[in-house]
Amino acid sequence: MTKPEKQHKEWGISYGEMVWREFTKSKFIVVWLGFIVLLFLLAIFAPFLANDKPFIIKIDGQLRFPLFRDLNATDYSIFLAAAVGLVQILLICRNRRSIDPSIRSGVLWRQIFINMLIIVVGIILLYYFIPRRLDATDYKSMITSGKASGAVFAPVPYGYGRTDLKVRESPPNSQHWLGTDDVGSDVLCRLIHGSRISLSVGFVAVGISSIIGIIIGAMLGYSGGKLDFLGMRLVEIMMAVPVFFLIITIVAFFPRSLFNIMLIIGLTTWTEDARFVRAEFLKLRRQDFVQAAISLGLPLRSILFRHMLPNAIAPVLVNATFGIAGAIFIEAALSFLGFGVAPPTPSWGQILSLGVSTTGRFLWWLTLFPGLAIFFTVLAYNLVGEALRDAIDPRLRIAT
Amino acid sequence: MNNDTLLDAQGLCVDFFTEEGIAHAVQNVSFSVKKGQTFALVGESGCGKSVTALSIMQLVPDPPGKIVAGQINFDGRNLVELSEKCMRAVRGNRIAMIFQEPMTSLNPVYTVGEQIVEAIQLHQKKSETEAWNLAVEVLRQVQIPDPAQRVIEYPHQMSGGMRQRVMIAMAISCKPQLLIADEPTTALDVTIQAQILDLLGELQQQNKMSILLITHDLGIVEERASEVAVMYASKIAEKSDCKSLFDKPLHPYTQGLLKSLPRVGFSGKRLHTISGVVPDPLHFPTGCKFHPRCPIGCTDKRCQTIEPQLRKVEGGREVACWYAPGYEKHDDPKL
Repeated sequence: MTKPEKQHKEWGISYGEMVWREFTKSKFIVVWLGFIVLLFLLAIFAPFLANDKPFIIKIDGQLRFPLFRDLNATDYSIFLAAAVGLVQILLICRNRRSIDPSIRSGVLWRQIFINMLIIVVGIILLYYFIPRRLDATDYKSMITSGKASGAVFAPVPYGYGRTDLKVRESPPNSQHWLGTDDVGSDVLCRLIHGSRISLSVGFVAVGISSIIGIIIGAMLGYSGGKLDFLGMRLVEIMMAVPVFFLIITIVAFFPRSLFNIMLIIGLTTWTEDARFVRAEFLKLRRQDFVQAAISLGLPLRSILFRHMLPNAIAPVLVNATFGIAGAIFIEAALSFLGFGVAPPTPSWGQILSLGVSTTGRFLWWLTLFPGLAIFFTVLAYNLVGEALRDAIDPRLRIAT
Repeated sequence: MNNDTLLDAQGLCVDFFTEEGIAHAVQNVSFSVKKGQTFALVGESGCGKSVTALSIMQLVPDPPGKIVAGQINFDGRNLVELSEKCMRAVRGNRIAMIFQEPMTSLNPVYTVGEQIVEAIQLHQKKSETEAWNLAVEVLRQVQIPDPAQRVIEYPHQMSGGMRQRVMIAMAISCKPQLLIADEPTTALDVTIQAQILDLLGELQQQNKMSILLITHDLGIVEERASEVAVMYASKIAEKSDCKSLFDKPLHPYTQGLLKSLPRVGFSGKRLHTISGVVPDPLHFPTGCKFHPRCPIGCTDKRCQTIEPQLRKVEGGREVACWYAPGYEKHDDPKL
């Protein structure tokens, strides 16, 4: 009992780490994961990559920074969320190496909670304090007319809302690498900004549906009995309704805003998650460690969310990955049909629809490039989801 | 209930309301556990001993189970009538429980330290660091080597015996007065069994706690318990101090059980078995529930029709059998 103890303490490998190791074993998946990360970077830094306003410009001998001045509350919110997210990931990595158990225990949830709070409060403050600026100055014509000089433009020097009827419907060329649409907007610029819409729709819609699904599934699974029976019949009724047509119907009634689309997709696709979580909870409820937790006198809150939920979350996580792909697809389809976000807000499905609908002609660059973007994004999410499922599955079989 | 009694169950009845009918899982069970002593509850699978333990913790799955009668007095309070909130303060803190299956009794997603700390912080006002130090301390108490390392490891990194030690550590972390051990060694190797039981005995001495030992292993009972109740088909068949039960079992069922035990120096003939199976709790036989399997009672009219109740016989022992010596002399209907 008084043996000298090892000096170097190391944390055991957690369930999450095991899944992560299994998951990243295949280089193929790491590439697709990298593709998703790249898409995220593209979406986060869209205003720096494609913008008709220069980073720096000299007007009347004075240096100005129109691009930075032009950033609105949405841009800043995205930067804030991305920064906090990055900090959280770094914190998790640091915690993993921390050897003081009292620092590490329970700290994760506190951090996540604080960071969420920072994001929510930050976004509210940003929207409150940053005014909407409308900078309609045409800096390019100022340069050509000699009023300004020394401008540094973004790699794609076009704004997504800028129209230029002189170059409308032009195929890809040295000026517009991926061509222009029916009002002369640059397609590459609109694709880059459209990635924001697609990714945020995917994430927010799946976030909403997962939360609803988890809460309803957990309630039904834990309570069992009559409530469970009635609840599951309701869920089955929901599942029988063809979701896409329901969404089209609802979208037709409500204003075409991004938020509405996210909400509607989220509110109609939670049934799968509810079923998964319910099944897991039914199984877990009679598990020994849950019984042991109850016999230790832990409150219901801790039993449900600390002891049962982490053991039930795996299928939800896998489903969420597929769900993101599905939501991106639904959004693209809605935009294609003209029920999506209102122009000039760019969306992949909307650009795609311009290629065939407006003039009766088939403009290949308007369909090919957004089509490829949708295809590869959905493919990446599906592949990652599948790999995640495979990584979790064998663990579930030998899990204790 | 006198002063050295810690837990006193009186006339406990637990029914399960199933679709096929009402199953009487526990019928009129009374026993008391004295402070600092080990009380053993012995019986075959399905005889109601685990349900008895669960009803002490108020953990009988409801629905379908329900405590329909009786009271469980613990330290002056009737646990059956206690609200869920008060009961949570008792669970883990005053009465702790060890489960049968160590492989599944720990949450796989948390380190053992996190799980012990949660239990400690729930019942005691302790800072995170203090709770961690205490967790390491209890792991040391249950003789886990290098506890400071083990405390930050996950259950899947440990063997069955090690996990059972962790379960015991978790149970004793709040210094409960009563430890319910529901078949604590059934899933373990024989060598580990002895270690775990020795450990429980040591901890019992150190912490002055009582143990309610639930088992089907009579060998363990003979070594560890001071009092024994043998359960058969939801009822107590015989209740006695440990020594006299093993010296002179009164109930034919106990006699059968003892005969079925392999002994050192056993001559090599086939082991004795009790013929038949445990009756289905939905369809108990009439009269004495043991009569279809009983060597004496299977032909006796009285055994087939009238059920004997638990009665005191000489030596302070209690038994429920018409043929037990001295049984009929005591016609006191109270017991």
